[in-house]
Amino acid sequence: MTTVTMSRGTFPFYLLVLVVALAFFEYGGLVAGEGALLLTLVFWTALLQGVIAAAAVADLVGARWITLLRRQILAAYPLLLVSPLLLILLVPRLDLYPWAATPGQWLNAPFFLLRNLALLLAVYGTGRLYARRSLRGDPRTPASAVIYLFAFVTSQTLVAFDWVMSLEYPWISTLFGAYFFVEALYAGLALAGILCFLLPLRQREGLAAAEVRPLRDIGLLLFGFSVLWGGLFFAQYLLLWYGNLPEEVQFIARRLESFPLRALSVFFLTANFLAPFLGLLGRRAKRSDRVVGAVAALVLTGLFAERLFFILPVAPMPVGILLVENILFFAFWLLTVHSREQLLPTATERSID
Amino acid sequence: MRDEATEISASGRLETDVLAGMRRPGLRYLAAVGLCALLALMLFALWGGMALTGMGLSGKNNPVGWAMLITNFVFWVGIAHSGTLISAVLFLFRARFRTSFNRSAEAMTIFALMVAGLFPLIHLGRVWVFYFLLPYPSERLIWPNFRSPLVWDVFAVTTYMIVSIVFFYVGMIPDLAIARRRLPGLPGKIYGLLSLGWQGTLRQWRHYGRLYLFLAAFATPLVASVHSIVSWDFAVSIVPGWHTTIFAPYFVAGAIFSGTAMVLTLTIPMRRLLHLEPYITVDHFEAIAKILLFTSLIITYTYIVEHGLAFYGHNPFERDQYLYRMFGDYRLLFAIMIVCNSLLPLTLFVRRLRRSLPWLLVLGVLVNIGMWLERFVIIVASLAHDYDPYAWGTYNFSWVEFGISVGSFGLFFLLFLLFARLLPVLAVTEIKEHS
Repeated sequence: MTTVTMSRGTFPFYLLVLVVALAFFEYGGLVAGEGALLLTLVFWTALLQGVIAAAAVADLVGARWITLLRRQILAAYPLLLVSPLLLILLVPRLDLYPWAATPGQWLNAPFFLLRNLALLLAVYGTGRLYARRSLRGDPRTPASAVIYLFAFVTSQTLVAFDWVMSLEYPWISTLFGAYFFVEALYAGLALAGILCFLLPLRQREGLAAAEVRPLRDIGLLLFGFSVLWGGLFFAQYLLLWYGNLPEEVQFIARRLESFPLRALSVFFLTANFLAPFLGLLGRRAKRSDRVVGAVAALVLTGLFAERLFFILPVAPMPVGILLVENILFFAFWLLTVHSREQLLPTATERSID
Repeated sequence: MRDEATEISASGRLETDVLAGMRRPGLRYLAAVGLCALLALMLFALWGGMALTGMGLSGKNNPVGWAMLITNFVFWVGIAHSGTLISAVLFLFRARFRTSFNRSAEAMTIFALMVAGLFPLIHLGRVWVFYFLLPYPSERLIWPNFRSPLVWDVFAVTTYMIVSIVFFYVGMIPDLAIARRRLPGLPGKIYGLLSLGWQGTLRQWRHYGRLYLFLAAFATPLVASVHSIVSWDFAVSIVPGWHTTIFAPYFVAGAIFSGTAMVLTLTIPMRRLLHLEPYITVDHFEAIAKILLFTSLIITYTYIVEHGLAFYGHNPFERDQYLYRMFGDYRLLFAIMIVCNSLLPLTLFVRRLRRSLPWLLVLGVLVNIGMWLERFVIIVASLAHDYDPYAWGTYNFSWVEFGISVGSFGLFFLLFLLFARLLPVLAVTEIKEHS
């Protein structure tokens, strides 16, 4: 049986296929609806940037869990290039934003595109630098990890403020940016949890127990991040609810008054906080790859539902197209991880570097 | 055999070096204690005067009803945060360098909380009605307003204080047993009582390890909850510059930032005076400096977001408030705050400066000045300049408030000096475990 793999030569071709497929689903006139591409872009940008950021933080603080997953995680760095390409695809959809009709100094289409494109490219460039250095064990890895994290935080802040918050302009929440980059890190760790589950048994069999043990830290980190996420969510919600100012609270009120948004809010609260908190409370659960993998998958679904909760009232979208786009993206990510031996530098190349 | 002997002698030297600080005090130490005691006395005398005369002795006015005293409260609660960060959070993250600082930082937490707790009482004016804040059974059915974050504060700070004291004490038990063994006479007997019959058996260590882990896990969310609630004292009000969702994480990061700076301010001189150079190394200080840099970056991020979004939205009051902070009556304090909290810590990107103890000491002091001013600017500027120009005003501190503030530093340093003489300043057993 043969399997599909990419190489550095064929990667741009596959990338083009992905982008063209997404463009076709979005603009092919199959169904009406405008928000699917934006949601896909917001979700996958968080995921792809977040997983590299999680690796960068692990490298900076000398965490041991990254050792076994480094190649799998960093294999996804070329995918950081997808976000700027999809942002260009989003140009015809900018009229979704209420400010598009009356552009201001900060919120106007050319500047919006320019700054976000520049930042996404900066994230790709710094991510590439960090990933390559980390893979070859370069002593300058911590410095490039710091640079990448700067780009990551700035980019996710703008994703929050520009791409999502400005959908409801002039609604404001100062925590939104920090909330998004913490969520992106959470998503990155969840992706690492899934990788941990998918890590082939044969790869583990050759390793000593002491080498596999650090993988358990992912369960611990997911548990910690569920508490952090809960804290940030509560901090934001409490202030809006307590203040009860019409211009602030309408963001929540509008979303909680009808189905399916109210159901979505219950779901993402459960998936992002309650389930990981209760599920990973016990020591045995944190040590089980299956439990960690299941919780990680649930967290990713919860984060997706939350993004949907933010975007859906402003930009309706057909569920079918949304699912197809995201499944396609997920398949592409899996293919990238699967093809890592062809995509990443080989041991010989690394030693030459 | 030889290795074992070397290990025993190194372990004995560690005990001797740490317990040396608990011997007969020198003249300089006594002078420092005397000075701090005088300042602490000044605090209580001025507070007494204010309680008898009335709050007119403070510079508070209408509209600035919260000023220096509340600034001090927020500042000292903030200082209390790094203790738990270094002890509990770094313990959970298995950061070994914490063992050089955790004892001092935990002590600092407790003393800072004790000092912080005084300020709401001083601010009450009629301190004898402080029990109004507690959920006491009232026959008149006047219950505390549980919807007020000021009441949440009472619960949060009290819980934090209790957990911090238990954590501090439990962590110290094996070291108290060492003091019992090494110190003769009455002190040895007192440490014997305090060590609760610790023998260092396997069973005791197992229980100890588990308890310490659970306490660390309890204490970690408390770090976030306490200063989040302090931030909500302000943020739930509909006051420009206060009502903003980022306040909770911003205050938590600020608290850790100022607390870390205070750890540097206290441990750098302590290391030198007690000759602890072999145990608190420059590498350890570099790790603390990285935490300082990291938290400074979070603070700077928050400044940028807060100011940026004030100009993004449609709220003219919010925009005006941030312009007032930058260019209004307190612009000088604002500028010092930016320099101390955002610009100077950037020097820590340079490795040589991260490892320079004189610079870290200076930076620690400057960051504390900056963080005190930050709280002052947030509190006073928002109250002085809110919605209605007719109700605008300014605040000038009174010398009584100033004296109380200086006295609070005296009380804090007095408690720390007593700690340095009476209890082991390093976690001896943990250092042994890691060496």
